[in-house]
Amino acid sequence: MISDIPIIDELGLIVLAATGCFALVRYLQVPSIVAYLVAGLLIGPVFGLIELSESVELVSEVGIALLLFLVGLELSLRKIRDVGRVALVAGIGQVVFTAAGGFGLCLLLGFGLIEGIFIATALTFSSTVVVVKLLAQKGELDSEYGRIAVGIFLVQDLVVVVALTLLAGLGRDEGMQAAEMLLSVGLAFGGMAILLAAAAIAARWVLPGLLGRVAASQEALLICSLALCFSFVLGAEVMGLSLEIGAFLAGISLAQLPYNDDLRRRTHPLMNFFIAVFFVSLGVQMEFGAVSDIWAPAALLSLFVLVGNPFIFMVLITRMGYGERTSFLTSVTVAQISEFSFIFAALGLSAGIIGQEILSLVAIVGLVTIAASSFMILYNHPLYEWIRPTGLLSLFRAGEKTTPIPEGRSREGHILVVGMNALGRRIAVRLYEEGYGVLAIDTDPPKLEGLPCDTLHGNVEYRAVLDEAGLPEARLLVSALRIEDVNRLLAYRAAEAGVPCAIHSFDVESTIDLDRMGVDFVIDSQAMGVERVVRAAYAQGAFDR
Amino acid sequence: MTGMAVLLVAASIGLWLAHAVRVPAIPVVLVVGMASSALVPIPGAFLEEVLILGVTVVLFVAGIELDPSRVGRYRRSAIRVGLLQFFTLGTVGLGVGILVGFSLQASAYVGLAISASSTVVVIRILQQRFELYTPMGRTVTGILLMQDLLVVLLIPVVVGLSDGPAATAEGVARTLGMVAFAGAVLRWITPRLIPYVARDEEFLLLTVLGVLFLFVGLGHLVGVPLVSAAFLAGLALSPFPVNVLVRGQVKSLGQFFSAIFFAALGASLTLPSANGFLQALLFSFILVLLTPPIVALVSERNGLSARAGIGAGLLLAQASEFSLVVGLQAVLLGQFSDEVFSVIALVTMITMILTPVLATARVAGVLIRIHPFNSPDVRGAAPEGHVLIVGCGSSGTRLLEFLVGVASDIWVVDDDPVVVDRIGRAGFAVLRGDATDVEVLDSAGAHQARLVISTLRHRRDSAALLAIAGDVPVLVRTFDDGDDEWIEERGGIAVSYSEAGTDGFLEWLLEETSRGTGAGTVGA
Repeated sequence: MISDIPIIDELGLIVLAATGCFALVRYLQVPSIVAYLVAGLLIGPVFGLIELSESVELVSEVGIALLLFLVGLELSLRKIRDVGRVALVAGIGQVVFTAAGGFGLCLLLGFGLIEGIFIATALTFSSTVVVVKLLAQKGELDSEYGRIAVGIFLVQDLVVVVALTLLAGLGRDEGMQAAEMLLSVGLAFGGMAILLAAAAIAARWVLPGLLGRVAASQEALLICSLALCFSFVLGAEVMGLSLEIGAFLAGISLAQLPYNDDLRRRTHPLMNFFIAVFFVSLGVQMEFGAVSDIWAPAALLSLFVLVGNPFIFMVLITRMGYGERTSFLTSVTVAQISEFSFIFAALGLSAGIIGQEILSLVAIVGLVTIAASSFMILYNHPLYEWIRPTGLLSLFRAGEKTTPIPEGRSREGHILVVGMNALGRRIAVRLYEEGYGVLAIDTDPPKLEGLPCDTLHGNVEYRAVLDEAGLPEARLLVSALRIEDVNRLLAYRAAEAGVPCAIHSFDVESTIDLDRMGVDFVIDSQAMGVERVVRAAYAQGAFDR
Repeated sequence: MTGMAVLLVAASIGLWLAHAVRVPAIPVVLVVGMASSALVPIPGAFLEEVLILGVTVVLFVAGIELDPSRVGRYRRSAIRVGLLQFFTLGTVGLGVGILVGFSLQASAYVGLAISASSTVVVIRILQQRFELYTPMGRTVTGILLMQDLLVVLLIPVVVGLSDGPAATAEGVARTLGMVAFAGAVLRWITPRLIPYVARDEEFLLLTVLGVLFLFVGLGHLVGVPLVSAAFLAGLALSPFPVNVLVRGQVKSLGQFFSAIFFAALGASLTLPSANGFLQALLFSFILVLLTPPIVALVSERNGLSARAGIGAGLLLAQASEFSLVVGLQAVLLGQFSDEVFSVIALVTMITMILTPVLATARVAGVLIRIHPFNSPDVRGAAPEGHVLIVGCGSSGTRLLEFLVGVASDIWVVDDDPVVVDRIGRAGFAVLRGDATDVEVLDSAGAHQARLVISTLRHRRDSAALLAIAGDVPVLVRTFDDGDDEWIEERGGIAVSYSEAGTDGFLEWLLEETSRGTGAGTVGA
């Protein structure tokens, strides 16, 4: 044991197992999700080193909330609206067709009526968390197929809420009255409407003023935004909705603000930690008690999810006029079942509707499909190029429809100027006037206002900011900051990227340090200023005599 | 999820309020946390887990920030000042603790709690004033880093006090063993490992957290407290460039856990009794009264100017966030009551809130006037036709270095006795006094000089000078936008350091471009 404290023990074991598995499989280009699931399997079902407490489950839920919060930050309401129709039709259509197909297959495999309904329902849920994590990792959340996929998953999240409500009703000893069920479902949809309205009101009238006052403090901005996220999550829970929906809408409400990109980059590492715990926990929770009896149906049902689900989607999306590539890439995202399927199955077991073997079956199908679809999503473009020549995709007779894709901005040969104090602003403006391509970066949005050049709001301590700024393609990196640690980091990053740099020094100590680091030019503003004072003194005739 | 949401909302309200009224965030978050728990009860078990996780991450991140290279050549003076402050206040705290009726162990905890100053509060203020990299800022940073290290290393000693000297010695030996291990990891492992794994951010984060949990596990194995092990794990990741690579990954994590930790701490605090309030006031009074003279005295002896020494003393006059960690450790181990913990928390809150009020240029100016060596200069006949330099900080000193041998009739005005002494010994005519005081400026002949040069930091400090200078040309150094206009409206001649820096940089770039090297080649 790592300590005498259960939460430290559990998290420590999870982190160490995840790190170990990640290190082992990263050369094989295996998605991190698979490494996490394997880590969970090893410390859980295989070696029995851990039993998850409620606290770790809470940490996992925080991970899910942060992941969906990030998706909301990335996608504005407008972007979601663009794909609203296809998301609604494909999302509901897939649930109906997968449930029907899965149910038929279950009957063929010899399962009973109730078990068949149960398994088929579990197979219809695809994992928002898995897909969003992978799309974010690939930087394709904002692509056309990425937005359609996110829209579909949000529609399905609502369906999950309805399914879980109905199941809770079925599970009661005395049974839930139809009116009561309708009320619960109505409450869920009403709750959704209330949260949507709250998000819209917050985005329009509350947040700009509230957060604008603390925007200069990065810590306050981050914590206030996270507080908003978890308030929405709490609101969603109160109204019987999933925490994903609450977190997503909180993100959407912040997506319109000028600091959403920076907020997204800073929430990302936080999410990475919590979501790793979630996936390892998922592996730990797998139940394989009756595996020897159900491997054959498990294999067939996994195949159904891996091939059947994308097939159903291809049919639905191409019918709506979308192109072959977009339809294929979107369809590949749904080739797995969700963590909700496990919850659903566990609820079914506790309600006495299904037996242990069905729970194991769902676990195996989950593990196989999540692992396999992670590869499929990660390598979806090569997969498309591989399948296309076979002519199989042309059978779907895809259309040409596309939704507008926000233009990405590629930068090359530009000069990055970090820190918009008086020195940074002067340098940025002068360089721009000289005809250089300039990108000005600062953590404080007001400092970027009024500059004629391109600007980027962000903290350069986060690597993602420099990646977005196109450091490797830049001609020069200039820092006007008066923060020694960050200047040293910038000098290091510039050397790493092979880009020349000019860094501001404000005293003798930092000049010596920057020289030692091999900085191309040290902007010693104090020494240059003193020289100018001396020249001005001569100009005034102070030293003529 | 309710508990998490409540803590985050409490922390965000605290941070928002602190930002709005410009006071340190920690005491405000503690108070809001306390209020929130009264409104929405949070389960004790959840609070305890948040506190344990929070303190682990907070100390880990603090360890990562412990890069001694930030202190530069002021290391030695920082060690001397820091040690004296730490042990004097610790001893006084211990003694007063016993006097007010605490047990020896509780008194030792209280002594430890008030012996160190707050890194979070002081660094934030220095950053806001752009003084972090001045000689004073570097010395203060060194003092804080060393005190943080001392507190964490002494926690095992205080924990073992009740078990007798043998257990205490064993605790010290174990901790030193862990320090040696951290030193070895810092020297040989992390500088190779971290740049390698940094290519993948997810892997980097996991590796960094893996280091944390490895240290925690090892600490448990050898009997070193969780907080010390977490801090040493951070220490193993503190050298450059490891620290800056890691910071991008742990910064948000640190801010998140720090926010919920202090909110949870507030939620778990109980209000002290009337006696506890008095005790907290007594300890706060001692801390605020003793720290400035101790720090100022030793700082001056170690080369800082009097103003910088007094400024450092005022800045360091508060209890640290580590005081709360120390108190929490004792509560978790059942080594003292919630009442004593509340006293420590109250001292921390009071002194942290007082810091921005006390650590101002105004208070420093008042104290410098009562400095024992600051007797006013004998004002003889004011000089005439001379060059007058007003203010002799780092910029003024560099200017004087330039002017050695250029002109003989240079006069300098500065209010810092240590600086005045140094300049006087260098052979310049010098007048000790406040350069914002018209009488002092008159005595220095500002109105009849050939030229006046002001190197004062803030433009408002040059207002009196500009008002009395009349036709004498006055050069005023500036940096920020808007200062030039302000100075010129008052008849001065602004010399913008930021413009000088810009011109210097552009000259270099032009040269590079014409030579076709460096920045002149890429993408051109």
